[in-house]
Amino acid sequence: MLSPDEFREKYPAEDLEAELPDSPIGSLRDLQYLYGKLYTLATTGGGEYAPYLTPDAAGDLIDTDNSLIVVRIDVSGDKPQLAADLDPVLVTRYTDDLVQQVGHCKYAAAAGIDHSVTHQAGRNSDPEKLARYAKERLTKWAVDEVVTEAADNHSDGWIIERLAEVGEDESALETIEERITQKLGGESATSLLTVQVKTESDGGYQWPGDLDVFNEAMRQRKLSKLVTKNKANDSSGDATDLVTGLPARTVGTSEDPQNYFLGKQLEKFPGLDIEEAWRSHPISEDAAITVMNAETFVEACTYRTFGAKVYYLPYVFGRLAADKVHRLYELLYQAVEEEETTPIENAYKRERDKTIEEQDFRFYVSAVMPHQMSRYDVFGETLNGRLHYPKQLAITHNQFVETVSAFDRDHYTDWTAPLPTNQNWGLLETNDEQLHAVSTGWYFRQTFAERDDDEADADDPRIEALVSVLSGQPIAVDVLLEEYVSRIIDDEGDDEEYEGFPSFLVASQFAQLCVLADEDLNLLQTADPSKDQITQQPSYDTSIMPSLDEIPIADGGHPAAPKLESFIDETPALSPGHDDDPDSMTSQRRGAFLLGALVGDIGSYQEYSEDRSTTLVDQYPVKSITRSRIKKVTQETIAKTLTYTRQEKKQQGNYPGTKADHIVDRLRDTILNPDPEDWEIETDDLRFYYALGVTYGMNDHPWNRDETDANESTTEENL
Amino acid sequence: MSQQSLDGWTADEGSDQPDHCLSFTVRGPWGHFRRIEGNIVKQTYRIIPRTTVAGLLAAVLGIERDGYYDLFAPDTSAVAIEPVRKIRTVNMPMNTLSTAAGNLQSLNGRGKISVKLPDPTTLRQQHNYEVLVNPAYRIDVALADDQWYTELRETLSAGESHYVPSLGLSEYLADIEYHGEFDIEDGPRNDTIEVDSAVPNAVDDIVLDPGTRCQIEESPAFMQADSGGRTTTGFTNYAYSPDAESLEVSNASAASVDGRTVVFV
Repeated sequence: MLSPDEFREKYPAEDLEAELPDSPIGSLRDLQYLYGKLYTLATTGGGEYAPYLTPDAAGDLIDTDNSLIVVRIDVSGDKPQLAADLDPVLVTRYTDDLVQQVGHCKYAAAAGIDHSVTHQAGRNSDPEKLARYAKERLTKWAVDEVVTEAADNHSDGWIIERLAEVGEDESALETIEERITQKLGGESATSLLTVQVKTESDGGYQWPGDLDVFNEAMRQRKLSKLVTKNKANDSSGDATDLVTGLPARTVGTSEDPQNYFLGKQLEKFPGLDIEEAWRSHPISEDAAITVMNAETFVEACTYRTFGAKVYYLPYVFGRLAADKVHRLYELLYQAVEEEETTPIENAYKRERDKTIEEQDFRFYVSAVMPHQMSRYDVFGETLNGRLHYPKQLAITHNQFVETVSAFDRDHYTDWTAPLPTNQNWGLLETNDEQLHAVSTGWYFRQTFAERDDDEADADDPRIEALVSVLSGQPIAVDVLLEEYVSRIIDDEGDDEEYEGFPSFLVASQFAQLCVLADEDLNLLQTADPSKDQITQQPSYDTSIMPSLDEIPIADGGHPAAPKLESFIDETPALSPGHDDDPDSMTSQRRGAFLLGALVGDIGSYQEYSEDRSTTLVDQYPVKSITRSRIKKVTQETIAKTLTYTRQEKKQQGNYPGTKADHIVDRLRDTILNPDPEDWEIETDDLRFYYALGVTYGMNDHPWNRDETDANESTTEENL
Repeated sequence: MSQQSLDGWTADEGSDQPDHCLSFTVRGPWGHFRRIEGNIVKQTYRIIPRTTVAGLLAAVLGIERDGYYDLFAPDTSAVAIEPVRKIRTVNMPMNTLSTAAGNLQSLNGRGKISVKLPDPTTLRQQHNYEVLVNPAYRIDVALADDQWYTELRETLSAGESHYVPSLGLSEYLADIEYHGEFDIEDGPRNDTIEVDSAVPNAVDDIVLDPGTRCQIEESPAFMQADSGGRTTTGFTNYAYSPDAESLEVSNASAASVDGRTVVFV
């Protein structure tokens, strides 16, 4: 395949544009057509038969031992025969310079012979099998109905007829078998099988790619499959080609590199007729062949995630101007060469400095579940994936966790930040891999409920979230909360095996929620007014020196109090300031958060100061929190707080006020009115903000203790 | 079906635009307009294809299958389509039975009326359908054929329909709200204009800005009948806003209908 520079040189702007359709890309077929065109130009060139060849099909065999088996036939004399002047069977290496000469055209069906006389055997075929395939060049391919018809209409058709004649000679066939078995020494091989033909008594043996009649027969065989497959006899007619929009002979049973369209199907509509498929999917012969050639590029732009196969196909938005198409070729070439990165990342590296108007690339994105060859489901799809969204999401996320006070430890001098950070957690620290995470779906795999990835579900929210982000469509808050909570509950473990509170997970989820709510990205939405505040972007301070008011004064009370105050005020989902709407759920959510914070705070006190192995955090796991239980949990937690206050007073004599009074006072205010029995907050909403509170509370302590805390937790989380 | 010439249809000589149209909104809880790229997969167009609009109106008028393509041909009709609700889709798995000839059973084979049904005892296969949720489109339509145009106006204004209107599949029933008959006036002639409808064949003229989302799709626009059935004769490449907002377009020749800016195709 030509390198991008070679491609640019061989196909300057004018030449390239002459090869491309005038209309912009508006459908998957348009896109595949463009890929197929570029692929043909870059591999077999622009010749008459170029689009019909499949140079990549046997690409793995290049320069391997015994990868090419050639039967030599001499048709120059009166009677065609196996080569007598040279070894009649050549076993050699398939090399780069033979690619054009063998003119291989693969037919992808099992047990079918390839379109070209050159045929690809299965992996590690034994000598007997290879011998059989070699003989079939004469006994099967040369007498194929389509091939003989093509031969009849070609001035050199006699060459193919002569091949068939040799195929009738039993002793010649035996010789072929003996020679192959002997030359392979009983070893299996992965090989291409072909013929060389001597047509002039004073000439040499020619490769099929050099003889027009072989090419023509190959072309006819490939074209025949566009109209006869499965039960179709001749699915063709005159209609408007869906790629070029021009009238053409259209064909009904061509292959689609993504298998979205096949001849047979199970359906709701009775009477669909495969013979008439050229009407419902009108594609011209030329376009069908070109689309089939898209396969290499299409496959290079896929990967598996969430049990599905994800297609990521970059394309040029708008008119197919040569400079854009050249850049697209670079991207596709890179995708073929580099398997590690996604085309989105490659495009980003190339296009990062461009403004949105200048970014010409869009992406066709789909998540596909290929159940069987003929049973595909698409779970999420867009032709409008834009570089802007994944890139911006990655950047915004990194900036968010780096700069905002909620996650930034440098912002607080003596006391911890509201939420814990940990460099082993991809969503809690600036991360060079963030774009990769976003574009592969890992971004959501880290926070959403885990599923069995062997077989993806049509409604896997991770796939939906991935496709949404790639196409800039908002994700529903309800889905996020449901996924978050179910992941938290899973990670906490069940009753028998409680695994500890996943505070880094909750912090990661919260960071993600805040970033998706970013005003410019606008990737969060809800149809439920009670969750409106969650979709609003938080207004946390960014890293600046604390103002004079924020610096705790010696007698100014507890440093934890202003921190809690500002965190709540700056988080719209919790803030009383965002509470104008009488139906607002923020006070109930705040109640859940504060209760969690108290449970986390006391739990952490129990663990460190009391050396208790089971704490309040374990006692009230997230799944135990419901609207009906919240009152009881609150009462018991506050009771516990009072116990510890009394205990400390006894020991130290001078404890100032109630323990954790900055939380308790607020909690009392919030949880009384309305009474939790009248709360209407949804369970997932309640539980997530309770979990956030627990995370906050567990992390709410002076700096010096945090060091050990973070380290220990790190080990725990990573076990 | 009588056919009027284009001259009687347009207001002034030389104009390629009809002078009045009917305007209605079609909406429903669900919609599915199968994309032609897939029969194994069932993805939907976001913008109701022009051929589907023609079929829908033929259903309203009671014209048989394969009987209405000339009525909606390029030189005798004009249709503008505006999505009026945010475009949203969901995946809806459905269980299907094979309708291949070998899997169909005849019911009442000897009687006068015979029905062929899939064998209900065979195993279903589940397939995922991409389905539009609450689709709604404002449609402006002009027809050169006066007789059918008048009949369409009367049927729509009476709130009637010959066949039950639906959005793509028969089970996705449609509700049609008729707004009335409006003059088609020349649209704004500025360098860039705000177009309310989906914009046909103008991808390169869309002014992209970060605040507005713009998507494109290509769907069948025109059909013709032939001896064996029907074929598509033209496709349209629509640019549209999935948020049902207007798009900024340069060089567009738009029309003005009922105070809205639309582009007919």
